[in-house]
Amino acid sequence: MAPSTHSAKPRDHGVFDAEISYKAPTLAEFGRLLTWAVPHRRQVLRSLGLVLLASFLAILLPVIISRVIIDGILIQNPMLHMPDLGMNDLTTWIAHQLNISVLVAALLLYGVLTLCCHGAYHLHRVTLSEAVMYALRDLRLALFTHIERLPSTFFDKVAVGRVMTRVTNDIQALFDMLIGIGMLIGEFVPFFIALGLMLAIDVELTAYLLIAIPVFGVMTYFFRLATRQIYRQIRSSVSQLNQNLQENLSGIQVVQLSNREQRNLDAYQAINVRNQRQEISAVTMETSYGAFMDNMVNMALAAILWIGGGEVIQAQISLGSLILFTQFIDMFIRPIRVLGQQYNVIFRAMASAERIFQALDWDEKLREPAAPKTLPKRLKGEVVFNRLTFGYEPGQPVIKDFSLTIAPGEKVAIVGPTGSGKSTLIRLLSRSYDFHDNAIFIDGIDLNDLPSAALRQRIGVVLQDFHIFAGTVFDNIRLGDPNISIDDAKQAAAWVNADEFINALPQGFDTFLNERGQNLSQGERQLLAFARVLARDPEILILDEATASIDTETEQTIQTALGRLTRGRTSILIAHRLQTIQEADRIVVLKHGELREVGSHETLMAARGIYHTLTQLQFQDLASLT
Amino acid sequence: MRTSNAQSVAFREDANFATMAPSSQTPHLDAFERPFMTVRSTIARLWPYISQHAFAFWGGMLGLLVARLFEATVPFLLKEGIDLLADRKPGMTQAALTDEIAPIALIIAACVSAQIIVTIVSRILIRRTGVLVAADLRHRLYDHLQKQGPIFFATYPVGDLMARAINDITRVRELIAGTSRTTMVLLFTATVGLSFMAVLSWQLTLAVVLPAPLITYFAHLYAQRIFVKSQRTQEGFADLSTFVQQNLNGIRTVQAMAQETREIARFAETNQQFADDNIALIKDSSAIGAIMPILAAISTMIIIGYGSHLYKTGEITLGTFTAFFSYLALLLWPIREAGSIVTQWQRGVSGTARVYEIFDQIPEIRDQPSPLHPELTGRVDIEDLWYRFPNKDKYALQALTFSIPAGQTLAIIGRVGSGKSTLLRLLVRMLEPQRGRILLDQAPIHEYPLNYLRENVCLVLQDPFLFADSLSDNIAYDDPGRSPEEILQSAQAAALSSTIDAFPDGIETILGERGVTLSGGQKQRTALARGIIRMSPLLILDDCFSAVDTETEEHILSELKVIRQGLTTLIVSNRVATARHADEILVLDEGKQVAFGSHKDLMTQPGLYRDLAQSQQSIRGKS
Repeated sequence: MAPSTHSAKPRDHGVFDAEISYKAPTLAEFGRLLTWAVPHRRQVLRSLGLVLLASFLAILLPVIISRVIIDGILIQNPMLHMPDLGMNDLTTWIAHQLNISVLVAALLLYGVLTLCCHGAYHLHRVTLSEAVMYALRDLRLALFTHIERLPSTFFDKVAVGRVMTRVTNDIQALFDMLIGIGMLIGEFVPFFIALGLMLAIDVELTAYLLIAIPVFGVMTYFFRLATRQIYRQIRSSVSQLNQNLQENLSGIQVVQLSNREQRNLDAYQAINVRNQRQEISAVTMETSYGAFMDNMVNMALAAILWIGGGEVIQAQISLGSLILFTQFIDMFIRPIRVLGQQYNVIFRAMASAERIFQALDWDEKLREPAAPKTLPKRLKGEVVFNRLTFGYEPGQPVIKDFSLTIAPGEKVAIVGPTGSGKSTLIRLLSRSYDFHDNAIFIDGIDLNDLPSAALRQRIGVVLQDFHIFAGTVFDNIRLGDPNISIDDAKQAAAWVNADEFINALPQGFDTFLNERGQNLSQGERQLLAFARVLARDPEILILDEATASIDTETEQTIQTALGRLTRGRTSILIAHRLQTIQEADRIVVLKHGELREVGSHETLMAARGIYHTLTQLQFQDLASLT
Repeated sequence: MRTSNAQSVAFREDANFATMAPSSQTPHLDAFERPFMTVRSTIARLWPYISQHAFAFWGGMLGLLVARLFEATVPFLLKEGIDLLADRKPGMTQAALTDEIAPIALIIAACVSAQIIVTIVSRILIRRTGVLVAADLRHRLYDHLQKQGPIFFATYPVGDLMARAINDITRVRELIAGTSRTTMVLLFTATVGLSFMAVLSWQLTLAVVLPAPLITYFAHLYAQRIFVKSQRTQEGFADLSTFVQQNLNGIRTVQAMAQETREIARFAETNQQFADDNIALIKDSSAIGAIMPILAAISTMIIIGYGSHLYKTGEITLGTFTAFFSYLALLLWPIREAGSIVTQWQRGVSGTARVYEIFDQIPEIRDQPSPLHPELTGRVDIEDLWYRFPNKDKYALQALTFSIPAGQTLAIIGRVGSGKSTLLRLLVRMLEPQRGRILLDQAPIHEYPLNYLRENVCLVLQDPFLFADSLSDNIAYDDPGRSPEEILQSAQAAALSSTIDAFPDGIETILGERGVTLSGGQKQRTALARGIIRMSPLLILDDCFSAVDTETEEHILSELKVIRQGLTTLIVSNRVATARHADEILVLDEGKQVAFGSHKDLMTQPGLYRDLAQSQQSIRGKS
């Protein structure tokens, strides 16, 4: 409930959360995207070669039917001066070689070419998507790796959900785009081959057919323009519908207790009706365009028959060539349709690309020492704060001139109202942020002279929200540290009273926990967190006590465990429970980032200061029944 | 420790309800696993919705048949043209032939135009029906959900209901506007196409359709495989998202425990799996994309081989020979689609089933409209009240009997899990008791119309839920027509004045994600103001001060005393300091009434109340 200090400050949406939904592709970004395909260039090249081959074969198939079968075999007037890509000769040659009839040879050729053509298309699609998939896999992993190592300051500024969509949805948008580009190549290559052949056969007729392209192109452009608007409206009304429903269901008790059902239903219905209208106009537009584009191409048949027919009579072209034209008309319209479909995908994906690169370019890092010092094998555990001043934003210090010396093995409770800087203080100690030199010392060594990873191994941190890693209970205690054996883990668990519940789990220490940890209660998670820290035996312990209310019995177990955990260890506790506070050697009261009171429970109570007031108002033990 | 935990777990409705919801009901059905409904029952249930738009729907279907006729005429006309060209006499003039060809070309153009127009109109009619039915269903679902009680919402989490409202209604829409249309078009195309072909040459037609079953078989086989694999990639994407989300949520622990490298390695695994699943899917869909035309080529080769023979024997013309290629292309589509149509129906049926599963849930609390609308004073009589949660052995409330005279303030005090919240929910009929009666002004509460009861009995919940609206909309939630004075007054009574003053837009400040985030105490006080404003004869406060400091609480309680002079108020708390202000106090323990009386009375007798008072006092004493 109590918001920690850092999350209370406004997030910096501007820097990272660019709301770009469409973006024209720039060459530089596209180039950068292509660099991710470089390791897979062989597959890309192979797939390009395959699509060329397949497209060429795809053109040969109708040529065999119209020029070889119809002109050559049926009408027996092949007009060999007309282009047939050598198919008539090839068929005759095969017939001669195999000593079969020309018709059988043509059939054989047709069958073999069909197999080769679709085989090549298949291989092309598979190799291309493998290349794309692997390139994106690499990009995604690089992005995740990059994000994983960003410092806390980054996560303070950017909401988790937005970072997440970079790794998931944005990359997926790129996938859609690259596959779309692949499809375009698959459409355009045969288009140009067919176009070449048609021009070779009959320039005039081809020219007539080509008129259709700009017409359809312009139509597609305006159609996309018009639908983009309506789809934007639909997206907005759908999200309103969903938000309304979600909120209403989440607050259903309040809705029912306030007799708001009818009113809310009316409000929902208003959006529903608006959405319905938008959907219908989208359906109308989409259907009209789609049916028009799909069938309008058949108009070309009339043109071919009329114009081409005249040319056949004048023996300018063969009848088979005219029939060939009727088979090619589909190829004229498909590239435009596909281009229209991919248009939005490409623009959206370029916006995604920009967001991904933006994330990759975020190169904030914690300052690491130029000449790192090494820690002794075993620390004494003395912690000194020396006039520490820190703020997340320049000019807004959250910790002001904080000085405190904590003796080895001492147990210090930090208390203070929400926003007083408690959480910040322990985050600084675990080096989540950069701060000025000579501010914090451990055993006399300036924290800024230590590599942050080395430091974190010596400080045990228990945060309020215990994060479970998917894995067994043992995995969660060991966390990949090979030095911790199963016996060590069991011992640690027993010492903090966690063994009882662990043994009650179906497979004991081998029980699989998932990240949400539904199978564990709050109290059990807390105990497991203790065991995890204890197994590492850190010299210094930092604990942000959980505020969630826990039943009395479990709370007692936790308090006992906490007592054992802190024994012989320098412990700094952000305390929320009176008992924890009372058991501390010293209590430090923070307010507005300043140290205001230090002392034992009794002395501070007697002083009747901030601590006295806080105790009266805030500590949970007062409110809950025992 | 496990068992003790389960018993002493904080009384939260969700916890109770969740355990009693049979796990098998947590519904996640896969289209291929559990076809809940048959196609026939699906159609039967959707029928009333479709028949509201019967004219458009059937008109559209008829139109599609007409469009197919136009479509199939085009190759026929083309055949005529080609025959003219093929059979031309050597000396024929161009003008003479053009005279014959021109009409054919014109008729082709006319047919194509007619086909386009008819197709557009009829497709729009059908797709429109889909949109309208989806909107109807959405409206009805919303209405239906609002009538459900807490047990329902414990069985069906919000996320699950959202999925049904979004994805499954979309599937119903696809079923009506897409799948059923495709099925009809499929039948029409096949019938019309085959008829035209048979007229031209029945022998060749028979030969050409020979490989059709093979094509349908492969299409069906792959449609299933692809469906399963695409489900897997979708799950893989969800896994990936979940992984990243949970990792980022725990990033501080990950970094504090130096687990980055391990997490990256784990991510790489999920990432690789996702890539592999995708490639497997692409391989299959690409394979079917290659197999289909190869199988179709068998038919093509039959036309070439057998067709040439028929041409040479003079049984078919060159135009017929050519037209068969066009008709084959026309037929190929339905033959191929027939394979995936099964999957599409399965998807539609399972979506419909999931929507109707919700419609079939009868609301736990049923309103029996009765004319009982007396002016209420707020007197409450509880007579031998028992309540047990479904699937639980123990009664949460046992044999409660007490009265609250009109105008009095009663406090209920008890430990966590003693049954306080259950009692309050019974009072507003969010739950129904197994035994006993609750009387409000001498009449059993179930005899009042539900909305009349809830208008007069106002329950403020412990967990304050606020809507992403302005502060004033939240306070006047029951009736947006309330005056600004009223709103400010109740805000003041709930000690919200200083909070409001600090906000940029005062009482009109928007709350929630897009606006201001309130602290726990501020939320609780807003919910309190929402209750106070209603001035209902009976106001029930369910531990509404847990996040409010004692001083503020005292202030609010004294305000309430003045405002609610003569009205009945029920306050639940676990602080003796709160309860002591009430006229009388009911002490609950493990669902039983252990004491009833004024603070003074209860302090004189040994028991739970005095123990509580003393333990709470002792902590204060230390201070």
